[in-house]
Amino acid sequence: MPVTATVTGDGKNITIHISGQFNFSVYKEFREAYQRSAQPANTTYVIDMAGTDYMDSSALGMLLLLRERAGGERSEIAITHCNPEIRKIFKISNFDRLFKID
Amino acid sequence: MAKPLQSLPDGGATPATAALEPLRFLIVDDERTNLLVLRAILERDGHQVIQAVDGAEAVSVFERDRPDMVLMDVMMPQMDGYEATRRIKNLAGSHFVPVIFLTALTDETALARCIEAGGDDFLTKPYNRVLLSSKITALLRLRELYRVREQQRDQIQFHHQRLQQEQTLAERIFSKVVHRGCLDNPAIRYLVSPVALFNGDLLLAARRPSGGLLVMLGDFTGHGLPAAVGSLPAAEIFYEMTAKGYSISEIIGEINQKLKAMLPPELFLAVCLLELDVSGGSLAVWNGGIPDVLIRSAQGKTLRRLPSNHLPLGIVNNAELDRTTDLVRLDAGDRIYLYTDGLTEAANSEGEMFGEGRLSQCLAEAVEDPYAFLCATLKRFRGDIEQRDDITLIELTAAACGQSAATESPVSIVPPHPPAHWRVMLELKIDALRQANPLPVVLQLVTELQALNEHRERIYLIVAEMFNNALEHGLLRLDSALKDSSQGFADYYEHRALALAALTEGWVAIELVHEPHASGGRLTIQVRDSGPGFVGQATPDAADDAIASGRGLLLLHSLCKSVIVHPPGNHVEAVYEWP
Repeated sequence: MPVTATVTGDGKNITIHISGQFNFSVYKEFREAYQRSAQPANTTYVIDMAGTDYMDSSALGMLLLLRERAGGERSEIAITHCNPEIRKIFKISNFDRLFKID
Repeated sequence: MAKPLQSLPDGGATPATAALEPLRFLIVDDERTNLLVLRAILERDGHQVIQAVDGAEAVSVFERDRPDMVLMDVMMPQMDGYEATRRIKNLAGSHFVPVIFLTALTDETALARCIEAGGDDFLTKPYNRVLLSSKITALLRLRELYRVREQQRDQIQFHHQRLQQEQTLAERIFSKVVHRGCLDNPAIRYLVSPVALFNGDLLLAARRPSGGLLVMLGDFTGHGLPAAVGSLPAAEIFYEMTAKGYSISEIIGEINQKLKAMLPPELFLAVCLLELDVSGGSLAVWNGGIPDVLIRSAQGKTLRRLPSNHLPLGIVNNAELDRTTDLVRLDAGDRIYLYTDGLTEAANSEGEMFGEGRLSQCLAEAVEDPYAFLCATLKRFRGDIEQRDDITLIELTAAACGQSAATESPVSIVPPHPPAHWRVMLELKIDALRQANPLPVVLQLVTELQALNEHRERIYLIVAEMFNNALEHGLLRLDSALKDSSQGFADYYEHRALALAALTEGWVAIELVHEPHASGGRLTIQVRDSGPGFVGQATPDAADDAIASGRGLLLLHSLCKSVIVHPPGNHVEAVYEWP
């Protein structure tokens, strides 16, 4: 499975791991993964990209969908373990203003 | 519209097979007894039967009556069953008409020939009724499958055609809106791959009334129709606001607000908006999500980078969007490069990407024509690889972009209104000056009241020069000598923003008076400011100590019938006459 989700803390924390390519082909799985929270606005999300090789702009779109569901400006979404290529894509799009990226 | 029902065979019983309506069988045999037996079996099952006694007759009966299924003997005079089957299958085309061979032969080669000739099954003589019915039922199932597949194929074809027609139509609308700008300006060279054309990359260029050149490169997430639909309002806003003289950050704000309201959350537009001023001496940049803008000095000695430092458009509201622009000074021979990531991601036959390294190397080469060199290098790198990416690359040449402003912009053929009497007075207090730009409003007034379309550019230049002079030098007391050094140029605009924010009172007033004169009209423009004027300086006509403001005055003199600077210098009056 390219997308797996771990739910902890009574469903208040969701960690989503994406392996391989993060693009439109995992749209459905990614959606299903973040929809596992019962109270989306009270959930903190971690997108773990340790296994992600490649990301395109449709992945940015999916992250925006998650952000919308998680409460927009009040959302808490961290993105971790990005490889340099992916980090560059985040940098160009200035997504560090919308997500915690390390 | 309903065809009269085919008369059913005697008894008119409901067919015993899976078919919903009685089927028409063609039976072919040169022996009358065989035909009789077959007919009896089929009619008992409720089917309609037509017959032929040799292959040639079978083909002509098939052509005439188009039966649903054929039972075919092999050995016959005139034309044998193999040949008849070949012809019948040929006539049926993509329509599935099952053919069952009826044969006394039992050797494998003969049976294989039946299938080769296009037969779908075979039945050995003497006929077994149950076996025949089962084979018919099985073939009917297959036939039904074919029918559904055929229907679906036709539907897909129909939808595909309609989609293509719609796409062609959309492309025409799209190119009307998107490609009406001035990409043919000699200062611009560009490469847009066909894949990119209707696919999410957006390249627009237009002139300001004052002659400055605006270029916008956009890249939508998602491709195809959604991107094209989103491109339309973005392009409209870009052209309209550029023509009215709005600033880059105002244009960005308007497009962002529109897209934010219109697009679903996962769609956004990465945008870089550039403005090359009329002299080609400075570049204003707003970059949200597009790769670094590259500025190559003459001979490729240096390569400056202006990275994306904003969010793409359509994601956050204007309140959260930083719309400040970066200003850089350009030197003669500077060339500006702008591209979408399709360029650096273009792959060669080994799957290796072109990359930023190769791009920078290309631009660092001391070649006469770096753009052509880059395009050739890219082409060589990719070889025969089919283009999958949206590649857009633009080169802007700093010098001489604004020489033909008035002649090149599409001149409206609407004649001016007959010269009339009117007077407009606009006074902006400091809080208004901080938040609004009065120039588009003034230009709009002149257009509405007098339809001076052919004079728009010149009037805009005059008012803009007078207003900026009043604000920057009269009110904010900025030293224009700052503009002359490369660093100072950026500093100047930073000072301007700081001084404007710090000022607690002051105003600038613009007054326009129009009256008939000779065969045309006379527009008197007066700009006053609350500043102290430039007391103790030389007369404005000889004010060559302040080079930039001197330049401004020279420009005014060249455009106006007369220019008067009223002492102490906080009131300038210019007269513009039109024929």
